[in-house]
Amino acid sequence: MLVTHARQLTFAHLWLAFLAFAVALVLGVWQMWARSPLPAPFVTASTYFSAVTAHGTAMAYVMPVFMIMGFGYYVAETALDRPLPAPRWAWSAFALGLAGALMATVTIFSGRAAVLFTFYPPLTASVFFYLGLVMVVAASWIWCVLMMVAMAQWKRANPGRPVPLAMFATVANAVMWLWTTIGVAAELLFQVIPAALGLKAQLDVGLSRTLFSWTLHAIVYFWLIPSYIAFYTMVPQAAGGRLYSDTMGRLTFILFLIYSLPVGLHHLLMDPQQSNAFKFLQVALTALVSVPTLLTVFTIGASLEIAGRLRGGRGLLGWIGALPWDRPLVLATGLAFLMLGFGGFGGLVNMSYGMNAMVHNTSWVTAHFHLIFGGTVVIMYFAIAYAIWPAVTGRAAPSLAAQRLQLWLWFAGMLVMTLPWHYLGLLGQWRRVATFNYADPIIAGWGPWVVVSLIGGVILLGSGLLFVLNLLQFNVSREPHAAAPGELYASAVHPPARVPAALNGFRLWNALVLVLMILAYGYPIAQFFVGDSPQALVHRVDERR
Amino acid sequence: MNDPDRLEQPWRLWASVAILSVFAFSVLFGFVLMPVMQGRAAGIDAFEAICRALGITPGSPAARQPTTNAKAQPATRVAWSADLLNSLTKATAAGESLAGSCAGCHGRDGRAVEVKLYPDLAGQSAAAIYKQLHDFKTGSRPSALMTPMVQALTEEQMVAVSAHFAAFPVRPIPAAQLPAAGAAIEGLVARGDSGRGMPACNACHGDQSGGPTEAPRLSRQSREYLAAQLRAFKTGERRNDIYSRMRSVAAPLTESEIDGLALFYASTRTY
Ligand code: HEC
Ligand code: HEC
Ligand code: HEM
Ligand SMILES: [Cu+2]
Repeated sequence: MLVTHARQLTFAHLWLAFLAFAVALVLGVWQMWARSPLPAPFVTASTYFSAVTAHGTAMAYVMPVFMIMGFGYYVAETALDRPLPAPRWAWSAFALGLAGALMATVTIFSGRAAVLFTFYPPLTASVFFYLGLVMVVAASWIWCVLMMVAMAQWKRANPGRPVPLAMFATVANAVMWLWTTIGVAAELLFQVIPAALGLKAQLDVGLSRTLFSWTLHAIVYFWLIPSYIAFYTMVPQAAGGRLYSDTMGRLTFILFLIYSLPVGLHHLLMDPQQSNAFKFLQVALTALVSVPTLLTVFTIGASLEIAGRLRGGRGLLGWIGALPWDRPLVLATGLAFLMLGFGGFGGLVNMSYGMNAMVHNTSWVTAHFHLIFGGTVVIMYFAIAYAIWPAVTGRAAPSLAAQRLQLWLWFAGMLVMTLPWHYLGLLGQWRRVATFNYADPIIAGWGPWVVVSLIGGVILLGSGLLFVLNLLQFNVSREPHAAAPGELYASAVHPPARVPAALNGFRLWNALVLVLMILAYGYPIAQFFVGDSPQALVHRVDERR
Repeated sequence: MNDPDRLEQPWRLWASVAILSVFAFSVLFGFVLMPVMQGRAAGIDAFEAICRALGITPGSPAARQPTTNAKAQPATRVAWSADLLNSLTKATAAGESLAGSCAGCHGRDGRAVEVKLYPDLAGQSAAAIYKQLHDFKTGSRPSALMTPMVQALTEEQMVAVSAHFAAFPVRPIPAAQLPAAGAAIEGLVARGDSGRGMPACNACHGDQSGGPTEAPRLSRQSREYLAAQLRAFKTGERRNDIYSRMRSVAAPLTESEIDGLALFYASTRTY
């Protein structure tokens, strides 16, 4: 079932997400150009940091939030097969988020918010920047509640039956996002916004960095979970097979909920305000994220093997060739896994204390998250959009070849851009620096690698524009779409008749998250209030003398 | 297995046990074993090592601290706080009476009696004046004339006299125009020179800058004084700038650039 509300909601949310995305891509290419030895137009320190603020804010907050909200509305109606509760609330949330995104954008482009997407207190931007982002987050909170209500209503109507995996995972993400945003919301509401309003002249940067770290790791899983939803529920179907295990899926999403939260201190390994012991604790918990990741690699691998063998694949690896690689969702999954492999390796480096010290604040870090977020996650966003667009627009896809080309270009561009970028990080190139002195003999050697990265960026821009074009093509397509939207989801090899309540809801897991968060973040936050903690002077970037 | 409670019990139990035992292992390892072993290698007793690992006492459990006995030499002893900056915005009667002792050189209204010898204070930022007074007093910036002048001043008096001079208007541009400094110098001011790793002067001194609190206003200061300061930074004779900000900017400047920059700032209004 896909009634008009979810259809229009998904349409509006995803278009807004991709519009922000397209603008941000152009800025990304210009930023790389500015950092290269080739002379780029308009480069000054302030234009550069305004651009990185806009690019980072669009890519890290606006695009994923709207993508995830839109996809969530779609899943809620199609996987649960019942109308969305309170669509009026959903539209209000959309309006709120849109207004917030516009407010933040105007503030950034008027040059009053060059503080980057991590805010960098004690720098403070114009308060409208933060308020805009708070509105975007508030919109997503409304979405979270709607998702939880939708699941609760379904459970009441279907007592004892397992919640469909796609919806279970969506609600897992909503629950996780509510936990995630507590950190940054506290930072903004109690520290940064009062400072931006001039109510506070000093703030505790140690505390604000700690609060931001609360959010910073879990937000990464917020971005990632839609891709995992596609892996578990849509990809096996697209490949012509079945999901190897529904229980593994549930466990994976639950483990993400638990282990993405009490681990954020791994973003502060080089920060002096947190102690060795708590860093160790949170890094140990970080290592456990490998469990759901490996579960997924195994389960999706097995599901694809089932599909390959059903299609006549033989031998140890013959099933791989037998998979329908011409289907965008399958192709995107293969490419996403490759990028996840490279990116996962980089992630292991980042979370290792000694190696982190070497790559800290270098281009290695930016390259790493472009590969895994811009690569693995975003390529699955493309594939999801391609997969649901027929149901959303009611038209069949005009050209799968154009979709495949777009995905290949994204993959190629991402590798061309990020592999040299990683290497530059190892050479010591700083992140968040606008221009480099290529006359310096040490830095001169970086030049060619940055140019290669820039070429990768141009390929990515081309791919991104082709993506927008491919979606627009649906509007000119004459061929109506036939299949029912529910057919997108795979059934499991052994569809569960019933599952324990622990795997059908989040009460137990929320209790465990609460306990873990108190243990892992309690003292690291409390120390700022019990002891004398140095305060930094607020520095306004929006106030020009 | 169809009784819901029988199905639920083990889940609740085992999930909690699994998660809390991972936690307990990490705590044992990270809070106790590791610091004790690191501490032993560094000659720190077990209790102290654990306290350090937890962040209750400062320092690392893996190294004695401090690692050297050399005395730290800060470039300056000024520490900015919100209260201090706030008090610098208020001109007081105390400031006015103290200013009398400065007038002989810097003028009643902060315009130096002889620009070739003394800097103007009128219109300078109060924070910049205070920073220099404090540095003269502590010896961070030694000066044959100024160091004795400020020895007797208290903290409050330095604040008061700074706020006093900051409130005066800057000296007007003289009728006889100085020659223009030229495009190369203006380039240094606006864009710096990435070839020599030099940031733009504007990044810290300009109207548009969000520069360091203590960065002084340069325009309408005398050519001689500006050039003398740049040379002092270049040679390291003046070394009270935090993080060597000015020393590193001045080091690559040529003699003619120093004169050009001094001329530029002496003849403009807005920096
Ligand atoms: C005998 C002359 C004389 C008197 C009196 C005097 N100064 Fe100075 N002042 C100087 C000279 C000369 C310098 C430049 C010092 C140098 O370059 O080392 C200077 C520098 C300064 C500076 C640094 C300006 C800058 O832009 O770097 C400040 C601030 C200052 N004086 C404030 C005062 C105050 C306040 C008083 C009164 C309490 C005072 N001076 C009294 C001669 C004097
Ligand atoms: C990174 C910031 C920064 C940059 C860039 C910079 N300055 Fe400065 N400058 C300062 C600060 C801070 C001080 C005050 C030093 C102190 O604490 O005593 C200063 C002091 C000075 C002074 C001494 C003025 C006085 O009244 O004592 C002169 C002259 C000066 N700068 C000129 C320049 C010129 C010319 C350039 C460009 C070539 C430049 N500065 C670039 C930060 C900067
Ligand atoms: C054409 C493709 C892209 C190019 C050329 C590009 C380039 C860049 C550059 C040069 C920076 C600044 C790095 C620095 O100053 O250290 C940056 C920052 C950033 N990029 Fe991209 N990018 C692209 C696509 C993406 C995508 C697809 C995403 C995520 C979906 C993304 C997310 C981010 C974020 C969050 C930041 C902020 C980093 C920070 O503040 O340090 N980018 N990008
Ligand atoms: Cu992280």
